[in-house]
Amino acid sequence: MSESREVVPTGAKIMAVVMIPVIAGLNYVTGVIVETLKLPIWGDTWATMLGTLISGIWVGAIGGFLYNLIMAMTVWGLPAWIWGTCNIAIAIWSFMFMKLGWDDLKKPLKLIPAFLWLGFIYTIQCTAIGLYMFGAGPLPKPTAVVYFGVLSATGNQLLAYYLQNVVTELIDKSVSWVLALIVASRVPKRFILAKR
Amino acid sequence: MSAVGSLLLKRAYTAGNTFFHRLDGRTKFIFFWWISIIAYLFYDYVIVTIILAALLILARIAKIHKQIYLTEAVIIIPWILVGIIILSPSAGFQDNETVLFTVKLFGREISFYYEGLAFAITWPTRIGVCIGSAMLFYLTTPLAEITSTITRMKMSYKLAYMFTAAVQLIPILADEVGTIYQAQVSRGLKTDVGLMKKFKNYIALVVPLTLSSLNRVQTRAITLESRGFTAPTKKTPLKEIAFKREDFLFMAGMIAITLLVAYIYLKYGSSPIVHLKYVVAG
Repeated sequence: MSESREVVPTGAKIMAVVMIPVIAGLNYVTGVIVETLKLPIWGDTWATMLGTLISGIWVGAIGGFLYNLIMAMTVWGLPAWIWGTCNIAIAIWSFMFMKLGWDDLKKPLKLIPAFLWLGFIYTIQCTAIGLYMFGAGPLPKPTAVVYFGVLSATGNQLLAYYLQNVVTELIDKSVSWVLALIVASRVPKRFILAKR
Repeated sequence: MSAVGSLLLKRAYTAGNTFFHRLDGRTKFIFFWWISIIAYLFYDYVIVTIILAALLILARIAKIHKQIYLTEAVIIIPWILVGIIILSPSAGFQDNETVLFTVKLFGREISFYYEGLAFAITWPTRIGVCIGSAMLFYLTTPLAEITSTITRMKMSYKLAYMFTAAVQLIPILADEVGTIYQAQVSRGLKTDVGLMKKFKNYIALVVPLTLSSLNRVQTRAITLESRGFTAPTKKTPLKEIAFKREDFLFMAGMIAITLLVAYIYLKYGSSPIVHLKYVVAG
């Protein structure tokens, strides 16, 4: 029996152009779902990871940055555009994890380095932005308990802010990475533009 | 979806014929940047509150105050309260030194400090200014005009498409989440559950939403291709925009206020009214 092949009637470039707003929209909507379900995460970067997994680093990065740009112009105000650099970083790290093989759901141990990278290394960037743009105050999340605990114990505001970020991001980005991998595995082949 | 979530997602251009609606998109965009930068110049909660109050008055003039007041109340007030509770006690903020009042809690005396309180008010209020100015631009400018504004600022039409398509897509996706949510609830999805179950609920909502959005991608791509999106011709905007007399007057006002702000900043520093010690000391 001959193998059937899915035919895409449009070019890859235009597919990418259309994919970018979808990624931005998904980040936006899932961010609100997280708030509705009162989850202790952000939930607004997983679509950037998904975009990188299925359409490549540029689509993921631009889609993620666009999401923050829209947030800046609609809900969060001007300074929020800076978080777009975090979404670009997420696209870069996702691409790196893909290349290093840290994206295999069948081998969960291989996901752990990705979780740790996102939890501890990526968080340095978020902490720096939070410090210079938003004052390094406590994040309005249940993990503010960590902030208060560390602050009471050490009196170090920066450490308290970093560790609250670590706890929040470790949960958020691990859930996001797994979710992006689950969804990417279910996406029809005609949408996959990324080369592995 | 919660009332707040729905409100945030379904916000769109609010038609009107106020002074602010008649301004060119570029003027409103410059205003959005300008007032956000000014709010960030000062570490003075009185000045930042005055800027926020002026913005809220503008929102009233533009007749979009209900949306802006509600969003500010939902986002900023809880942020200030959490900030005060955490930053005002002695260990909460490294520059705390002026005791405002002391309360007895569980047999322990807890002092609340002025410096932490000032910090907890200033930062969210600044963000409040940024949010208000962003909404003022977004809610009074039709999408076609935003597209024209982006292309007139010499940015690529592909970028303009991506921006407007994303903004258009958000309410569509929000409606779809509502439908998926109702469908999952009717299939037995429980909302009043523990944390792990909430994560499962999250996946139950996100997976169908994503797959249905991706199905739209191909339809949109074919539609764009058939309309000559990638054709090597000069693209024309749906709406032509031009500066009017009102725009020049508004910008003259901004220049005058900028001069006043520059004078205050250079003469009295970034905390000219409340003179916060940790700001003055650097």
